[in-house]
Order: sequence, then structure tokens, then C-alpha cells
Amino acid sequence: MNDFLREALLKAGADVVGFADIEREILDPEISHLNRAISIGVCRKLNEDTLRLHASLRKKASSILKTNGYRYLSIPPVHENGKRKFIASLYPLFTHRIAATSAGLGWIGRNGLLINPEYGPRLSFSTVLTDAPLIPDSPVEQCLCGECLLCVEHCPAGAIIGNEWSRDNPYVELVIQDRCEIYKKNMRPVNGRSNCGLCINICPYGRKWISK
Amino acid sequence: MTTEEKREEILKKLRDAVIQYDEDVAKEAAQEALDAGLDANDAIFNGLVNGMEEVGRLFEAQEYFVPELLMCADALYAGLDILKPHVKKLDLGIKGSVVIGTVEGDVHDIGKNIVKMMFDVAGFDVYDLGKDVPLDRFVEEQMKTDSDLVCLSAMMTTTMVGMKKVIDSIKARNPNVKIMIGGAPVSQDIAEKWGADGYSPDANNALKDAINMISSLKKLKEEAEEKKGS
Repeated sequence: MNDFLREALLKAGADVVGFADIEREILDPEISHLNRAISIGVCRKLNEDTLRLHASLRKKASSILKTNGYRYLSIPPVHENGKRKFIASLYPLFTHRIAATSAGLGWIGRNGLLINPEYGPRLSFSTVLTDAPLIPDSPVEQCLCGECLLCVEHCPAGAIIGNEWSRDNPYVELVIQDRCEIYKKNMRPVNGRSNCGLCINICPYGRKWISK
Repeated sequence: MTTEEKREEILKKLRDAVIQYDEDVAKEAAQEALDAGLDANDAIFNGLVNGMEEVGRLFEAQEYFVPELLMCADALYAGLDILKPHVKKLDLGIKGSVVIGTVEGDVHDIGKNIVKMMFDVAGFDVYDLGKDVPLDRFVEEQMKTDSDLVCLSAMMTTTMVGMKKVIDSIKARNPNVKIMIGGAPVSQDIAEKWGADGYSPDANNALKDAINMISSLKKLKEEAEEKKGS
């Protein structure tokens, strides 16, 4: 089941795929029967095409699980995406980054983003929760940013504190969200961009993918 | 017109699409129903809703959990979106208009949304106020829309007391308005004490109640048609 799913998703356009044991992460009774997460990462800009690719990857995973008689909950990269659905009320119960770190696909960097050793912070994630008995990959336990402080030093809003995430302390404050938001809002009339992204671009991990 | 055989086939496809929570098939089957000249009401009630009845049973038997229930509801809506523009307004002699929402302080809206769906299916005009709705908004909206049914939902004991205020307020202005309350902490006892006309403890029961309501609507509709025929 593991290999088959992974192969199918990679072949269908996913850049990274990992399986996580999320038994201890799921607290909500409505989804407590789903103790595995499939984390699917795609290295593209998060635009319509990427969302479509994500949708088809989730559909692929879901249909494989369904065919084999397993339950699933498929969570898209962006919650408020598109038309409102009933199932969307369950999306906020689980976060992509817990799935991705637990599946060993990366750690949460100083910039608060998931950092994959190969692609850096340039992945977007879908998650499919399931009760299929998948063999979990080993989680990443702590921040592997090392001595690097590039994002902390270059953040134009001064929003990145410089703290280090670890799986034992997952809610440590990394980014002062207010500062980030206010900076982006103030810059919008100046440069016409709704996003900043400097903390993504400056990250040395996965730099080679920038031109892609 | 279409053959009985073809009709059965399409109805089964609609039903199975809902049970199998398959939105794509639900859309496909709804389109087939229209192409084959099936009556949209027939397709909705004897196809989609029929499937949802089975889903209710599966949920009750704990074969389906909340995620499946919600995905089934999404599949039903996928088909409904296509069929609804073709529905001839039901002439039931009752005005189908309902105000619905989750009361102030409460953001749990799964049960509310499922009840709402069944009203949508039944062809009611649904005024969905959403979740965490200020109590006065229910009263205002009822008066503004002159709805004869108000549905209140609360998931927590702390927020459910707000429902009593809304009931009092609405009944004082218009005693004929029917009020349904729902949510985990609510009981038949509380419903009676507070002067509500109906109650439902959770999404499952809300679904069953809503289905009962639609079944009786179906009956009314059949009777109305029989009368017209004779």
C-alpha cells in the first residue's frame, strides 16, 4: 500500500510524498479514527494550476484509499478556496505542517514555513487523512536551520523573531504575524503586490528551484 | 419522455452517487436526468434524497462517520445545483420560508448546515444567517422575510440559553411562527419548557427529522397532484 500510493502520487506530479502517524496529534472526536496522514508537496507557485494539480493528486489518493475500503478526509492547500462545501468545516481540524513534519518531509523554519531539505520553503501541501494502516515515515524532530539567520536579518517587517521550532514545542512563536500583515498592507499601494515572500526567496534551502 | 427502465437507472445512479459520496458521478447523473427528460423533482426526491436517507441509516449504524456524512451532503448538493433550476415550484398550499442559524457565541454549524440542506432540497426559501448570530438578528430576519419557520442551533450549554430569548422574542411578536431548536445540549424537555415547536439533539437526528419533514411534503405533493388529476 505504501509504495503503491507513493509511486502513484509521484508519477501524477507530486514532488514529495510522506506518510505520518498522527495518532497523538488528532484530538477532535469527529476525525479521531483517522490516524495516518498522507502529506503531498508540490513545488510550484500557489496559483490556479497548482491548486488543480493538488486537487487531482488528492483525488488520486482518495480513490486508491476508497477502492481499498479505507476512510479518508482530503484537505486542500488553501481552506477558503472556491465554493463552500460541507466537508470544509472539518479542514481547520488539522494542519498541513503537522502532517508534513510528522511525515519527515521537513521542519518548521525560523520563518515559520515548512522547510524541505531539497525544495526549501517552496512547497505547497495537501493532506489526506486516512485510517489505512500505512507504515509511517520518521518525523523530523527539530529545526535544522542551524546557524542561518538570513530570513531573520532580512525580513523588512522585522517580524521574524529567530526562535527555533521543535516537535516537542510546536507552538513556539516564530513570526509576529501582526508585523508581517501590517507591512504587507502598507506596501500594497507602494509596490502593488499583495505578498512579500522575501523569507521564502532568501532561504538557502532549495534555492536551485527559484528559476523553475 | 423516457422509459421507466431508463428512469430507474438514472435514479439509482443519483442515489448511489450520494451514498458513495461521489460528486463527479452526482453531477453526471443529474445532467443525464435532465437530458433524458426526467422531472427534476423526481430526480431530487427519488434519487438524491433517497440516497441521503440511506446515508442517514449508515450514519446511525456507525458505518459512516462525520466526514463521510459531509461528503455525501456535498455530493447531494453537486447534483442539486444542476437540477434545482429545473424544479417546478411545489404548490403545497404552504409557504416554504425558513430562517436558520447558530446562536451567538457558538461556531458549530455542521448540524445547522445539514438541516439547511434538507430545506434547500424541499424547495424552501432558506435564509441562512450562518454561525455566531446575534440573537436580535433572528427576530429581525423573521419579520423582514415573514418566514413561518425559524431554526435555532447551539452546541454548548453556555450558548443554548440564547435560544430561549429568541423564542420569547419571536413568539411575543408573532405566536404563529414555528420554531425548531437543535444541538447537543438540547432536549425534548427543554424544547417544551422554552416553547419550541420541535427539537433535534444532533446532526443525525436533525437529518432524520428533516427527512420526515420532506417525506410528509412528498405525501402532500402527491395528494395535491392526485386532486389535480381527478
